[in-house]
Amino acid sequence: MVEIFIDGDRVEAEDGQTVMQAARASGHVIPFFCWHPSLSVPGNCRICMVEIEGDGTAAGWLDIACNMPVAKGMHVLTDSPRVRARRKQMLELVTLNHPVDCGICDKAGECTLQDYHYEYNGEPSVSRDVKVRATKHHDLSDRIVLDNERCILCSRCVRFTREISKSDGLGIQNRGDHSLVRAVEDGSFDRDPYSDNVIDICPVGALLSKPFLHKARVWYLEPTASICPGCERGCTVKVWHRKSAWKLNRLDPAANARIDRVTPLENPAVNGPWICNKGRDLARIFERPRATEAMLKGSAVAPQTALDVARALIAAARHPVALVSSWGSNEELAAFDRALAARFASHVKADWLPVPGERIEDDVLIKADKNPNRAGALARFPALPVDPRAAFGADCDLVLVWGEGFASDLLPASAKVIRLDAWRHADNARADVFLPITVQTERSGHYTNFAGVVSPFEACFAKPPGVADAEALFAALALPLLVEATT
Amino acid sequence: MTGTQLLMTFPVTADSHTLESYCARGGYATLEKVVREMRPEQVTKEVAASGLLGHGGAAFPAGRKWGVIKLNDEQPHYLCANADEGEPGTFKDRWILEHAPHLLIESMLIAAFALQVRHAFVYIRGEFDLPYRRIAGAVEEAYAAGLLGAGIANSAFSCDVIVYRGAGSYVCGEASGLLTSLEGRKGYPRNRPPRLTVRGLYQRPTVINNVETLANITGIVKGGADAFRKVGTAKSPGTQLISISGHVARPGVYEVEYGYPFAKFIHDDCGGVLAGRKLKCVIPGGISTKVLTAAEIEPLTLDHASVAGAGSGLGSGGMVVVAEGTCMVRLLQVLVRFYHHESCGQCTPCREGMGWLHKIVDRIVAGEGRLDDIDRLIAISEANDGTTICGMGDAAGYATVGILAKYRDEFEHWIDNGRSRCDGRLEAVGAEWAVPEAALHG
Repeated sequence: MVEIFIDGDRVEAEDGQTVMQAARASGHVIPFFCWHPSLSVPGNCRICMVEIEGDGTAAGWLDIACNMPVAKGMHVLTDSPRVRARRKQMLELVTLNHPVDCGICDKAGECTLQDYHYEYNGEPSVSRDVKVRATKHHDLSDRIVLDNERCILCSRCVRFTREISKSDGLGIQNRGDHSLVRAVEDGSFDRDPYSDNVIDICPVGALLSKPFLHKARVWYLEPTASICPGCERGCTVKVWHRKSAWKLNRLDPAANARIDRVTPLENPAVNGPWICNKGRDLARIFERPRATEAMLKGSAVAPQTALDVARALIAAARHPVALVSSWGSNEELAAFDRALAARFASHVKADWLPVPGERIEDDVLIKADKNPNRAGALARFPALPVDPRAAFGADCDLVLVWGEGFASDLLPASAKVIRLDAWRHADNARADVFLPITVQTERSGHYTNFAGVVSPFEACFAKPPGVADAEALFAALALPLLVEATT
Repeated sequence: MTGTQLLMTFPVTADSHTLESYCARGGYATLEKVVREMRPEQVTKEVAASGLLGHGGAAFPAGRKWGVIKLNDEQPHYLCANADEGEPGTFKDRWILEHAPHLLIESMLIAAFALQVRHAFVYIRGEFDLPYRRIAGAVEEAYAAGLLGAGIANSAFSCDVIVYRGAGSYVCGEASGLLTSLEGRKGYPRNRPPRLTVRGLYQRPTVINNVETLANITGIVKGGADAFRKVGTAKSPGTQLISISGHVARPGVYEVEYGYPFAKFIHDDCGGVLAGRKLKCVIPGGISTKVLTAAEIEPLTLDHASVAGAGSGLGSGGMVVVAEGTCMVRLLQVLVRFYHHESCGQCTPCREGMGWLHKIVDRIVAGEGRLDDIDRLIAISEANDGTTICGMGDAAGYATVGILAKYRDEFEHWIDNGRSRCDGRLEAVGAEWAVPEAALHG
């Protein structure tokens, strides 16, 4: 431990820490653009200048906090007049060639440069000279658009591809104030499954998401803590949707219950500050056409009718088998265990398999199993054998299929079928009883990831009419069994 | 004569750069003596005792830089000769590379022996053609003679020298930018700490010395530190190669003993200002040092303490003589255009500031300047002072502030009247620009 003083406060810093790290750990604010806790220190933005007080024998000096190791007894000033003057100069220079087009910039409202300008400068530009013109709209990849005029060349995105995603997909071309961030020609940035993280770490509005481009001002949105179901890593994410106070009544009401974007929810135990691009595209998973009507062999019926038929099937079955969803929350799995597990021979199935072209597994985040709660399900029930027919046996007369991803053709032809699914599939109509269930964004619960870390997710949208939580359905399906037991 | 000479000790002829000529002058004898009779720490001690200062511009004591390297620490060390001589006005290392390449190689080998270096590099400026051919040819000669590679001069000491050509970036002459470029990456300077002598090339302890600094090593080890200290002044021992250009009768490279009178050097040894004009000012050590007026140089001597006392520096020895009649606004325009073009663009103050300086000076020259532009130029220079990763931002600031402090009236005149006070007649007098006979044969 090293004892240092920041703005007069005694701070215990760890050996080898920088002043920036020690200040952040002790709650002292030092502004920064280029520094990032998970990336190397480039020291290029020069905004984190602090003053090291002289000790009587030597004069004080200014230096960047991000690259300065703590030294015993050093006195650091983060807000002295000299520091404030330097910061203001640096901000003048950072904004010198920045277009300040916040009015049409998606980053406005969550932009570091905006925040710092109001915090540390707040004055109009002192320059009368024309700004450097650069590419205003450059397709950095299929997913990301780059505005080089807004770019302040902090190099966070470049370092991300070199140090975190290891795609080496980005670099800086040219030099001086004509430097341009560009993707390398071999297309490695297009193939980088973590590319969208550079949008989050961009301190200005230079890197923007194409799907989210001009879709919403961020102050109309709010995040809900959730979990990416894309693989068994279970990265914690923020699902951004419209604030209830800013519902758009005149537009398509669907716009009010839409996933506008997904960003990482920092979580050192699971995913750090990153997620992969699949997690950004949760809307593509959740906003597929929904199954909203209960059905008997493809004919829509009232939910209660379908439930009654299902109860009768369960009561009549002699050798029922259940295929348990690996997308169910721990609460739903517990409900199934409590209500129906005794009646069924239960097996955990994989709802999702890797799709062609998807990265199967790597040593960054992506895991091979593409289901979020496989570990939670396997904690209660055995896995489905590799050949699913082995699970059914010759005398199986009822199969309950919970969740998607198990084709009707694989089910024993003689058995009755009860299906619970959230989305519209052709197989739904082939089931004897079909019951629609909610998706993850309509309920709350917990998933257990591959390493046993349990993370929560919250509901952010209302259930569609006629759709019930699987948890409630299991309880309802269990009722006749209880009646049967007492008679 | 300009005092004792340590490097320019032989007549330059068509083959004075060859191994044969060099050995005939006693070359490589010092190396053989070192590898047979000395221990590495003895060499470093000798260099430290000599008080040899770096000749790249910062005048950092070479012995102190070498002293940081820990011997026998079970990791590779590297040595690099900085031959990326890019400071405008400076062309002194070129003389060594062209005419004494074996002196550099011998000195590098002695340094490599002292620092336990197995691989040494010469990072040479991309625009240098003849110097590159000479040093590369000398390396080949040395390999063929068994003076490079494994078992040098039949001893246990082995060292390879690799000549690497840069691509002509100014910033790659900065030590850490040079190493980054040598590693094959974009020539961005690095933040300190860590120092390059702790983590330099490939993250290993690395010593980078200027070509001229290294070239002095052989002489120091051969003649001893005390003999070296007898040359020059107490604080600046030895000699300085000065490349003088601009409005001077006999431009070229001169070896000057430290402490030699400044004005005498320009007026007597270099033949005075071109075409008998009056001296306006001198840029003493590369364009990044502050200009000194004709009156200011009168009492000065050519050593670091004296020139620094006048608020400037001897820098890299790239002296530019400016005659009366030269427009300082246009001179500054040339300088800031250079800095704008050469800024690597890594850190904010230099990347944005250099372009801004350039635009403002361009605007003044275009007749659209305002009086507060002068203060803005000074403010931008101050914003670069000590805030950048490498020294380039500071250097551009010194050059700008140096000119503005002494010739502010010329800028005000241009802003007020839309034209230069020095109306460009200097350039118009074509006949006076013919190279004088003396410069060709002297």
